[in-house]
Amino acid sequence: MNRPSLPWLRPLVALAAGALFAIPLYIALINVFKHSRQVSADTMAPPAPPTLDNLVRVLTGPDSLFWSSLRTSVLVTSLSIVVLTTLSALLGHYLARHGGWWPRLIMVLLLCGLMIPPQVILIPVTQVLKALGLMSTIQGLVLFDIGYYVPFGVFVFSGFMKGVPRELEEAAAIDGATRWQTFWRIVFPLLRPATASVLIFLGVWIWNDFLNPLIIYGPRDGTTIMTGVYKSLGQYAADFGGMFALMFLATLPILTFYLLLQKHFVKGLTGGATKG
Amino acid sequence: MAVGTTRPRPAPAGPGARERRPARRRRTAAWHFLTFAAPGTLVYVCLVLLPIALSVGYSLTNQALLRPHTEFVGLRNYWLLLQDETFLQSLRVTAILSLIVVIVPNVLGVAIAVLLDRRGRIYNALRTVFFTPMVISSVVISVIWTRILADDGPVNQALRALGTREPPGWLSDPDLALYSLASIVCWQMLGFCVVVYLAGLQGVPQELLEAAAIDGAGAARRFRHVTWPLLAPALTVNTVVLLISAFKIFDQVKVVTNGGPGTGTTASVAFVVLQEGFVENRTGYASAEAVVMLIVVAGLSVVTLRFLQRREVQV
Repeated sequence: MNRPSLPWLRPLVALAAGALFAIPLYIALINVFKHSRQVSADTMAPPAPPTLDNLVRVLTGPDSLFWSSLRTSVLVTSLSIVVLTTLSALLGHYLARHGGWWPRLIMVLLLCGLMIPPQVILIPVTQVLKALGLMSTIQGLVLFDIGYYVPFGVFVFSGFMKGVPRELEEAAAIDGATRWQTFWRIVFPLLRPATASVLIFLGVWIWNDFLNPLIIYGPRDGTTIMTGVYKSLGQYAADFGGMFALMFLATLPILTFYLLLQKHFVKGLTGGATKG
Repeated sequence: MAVGTTRPRPAPAGPGARERRPARRRRTAAWHFLTFAAPGTLVYVCLVLLPIALSVGYSLTNQALLRPHTEFVGLRNYWLLLQDETFLQSLRVTAILSLIVVIVPNVLGVAIAVLLDRRGRIYNALRTVFFTPMVISSVVISVIWTRILADDGPVNQALRALGTREPPGWLSDPDLALYSLASIVCWQMLGFCVVVYLAGLQGVPQELLEAAAIDGAGAARRFRHVTWPLLAPALTVNTVVLLISAFKIFDQVKVVTNGGPGTGTTASVAFVVLQEGFVENRTGYASAEAVVMLIVVAGLSVVTLRFLQRREVQV
């Protein structure tokens, strides 16, 4: 029983499971290139002949819904993840390097934040943002994203800090560097793998987010890409091809971002940094 | 990288280098806190902690958009909740959803992780396939599945081709819709579980498995007595993350069923809270629902975490 008696069984079962699991992905992809009539008549059939009509229709739509939502989403996502990475790296570093009840309390409160469902706080959040004059604005949405996701960033960065030797910072302090300089010139570059994973996760979550933009940014004044998809469900109710094309185009940017950054999960950068 | 520019110094930070006047030191410490810790903490406090406190406050009032004067009503909202069939049903819906979403991806996840725990191009490619839904928005996933499970969708087309006269209405039958919805979420979360279990499997020492094999343990017993106990931390992570995600389920309900078919057959707690708060605009009452939701999520997560972590220690 120890040597597998059927060596081809594992890859075969694995491939079968993978194929079954991938059916929805296959459907999402092929129907982008089919005419709507063919989509509803036979969803599973390959596109024969393939057509680019759906993509063209979405990209050149008269309401330019795609382009304006794309702009909003790029703005919201990039602003949020840049600020979030900065703030949570600083805070994570501070909390990892300081004991005492005060930093520990902040840490516990942040960890609690990891499990708070957004639905619990959205009603008061809209009132806080209204008071600040930030409801239905991009700034308001970005501000809430920062508050809501800061615990995750801090969690990743402070965990990673444990593997970064203190000696580097002490050496820099002796050389006369301020804490600010030390952090940005010495510590932050070492946090690159953590930065990459924070950027990937938050980028994907914020880009794909539906609830927060729906409530905070609101569909009246404009949409992010995912609230845009939701808003056009009615418009594309009879146009399955257009719907699949819109969803494909809405997913493509974040998929590309994910694949590009994935390569940067480089580990062990600190290896040898403190060896004489 | 910038690593090259840091030349490590052998000199330790002696007391001489640290001795500064205490006032100045305190000022530096305060400045350090202000620049490093304060900004993130402040945003978090204002947009997460303060709203929680506000939610508790609102829940004790009859605040509503159309009501000119908000009054303090004490615990009345909570009393009303106990008799509110919509809310009680949403708790049942969420309980069923959570049960399915915690169990199914965990079981399938560990099976697929064991299956894929090999080197080679096929396995790398398959790992990517299983992880892909994690990068896709739940709105997009919901629309794709709405098409797949539609009454005239590919599933029923296939069933008709196989001779089924009246295939089930996966999303239109009030008895079935909740389970279809749960399956969609399971499909979406499976990749996460697979990745976590694969990482856990990397930590199972090969020597232990070989030793067990030499002692005559078959594949099943090796898994049961060596691999599975060592996967305990992965089980903890997956279970807690799935539980929290299950309680948050809103997007799929909103897009796929909008709470129906029938009355509230798929309306999760998260969905009902937002419906009450932003559609009915009864913000006081909705806040009471939100507070109950928070207490249930927090309580269940802490209990589950404690229970599963104790199990880890035993190994």
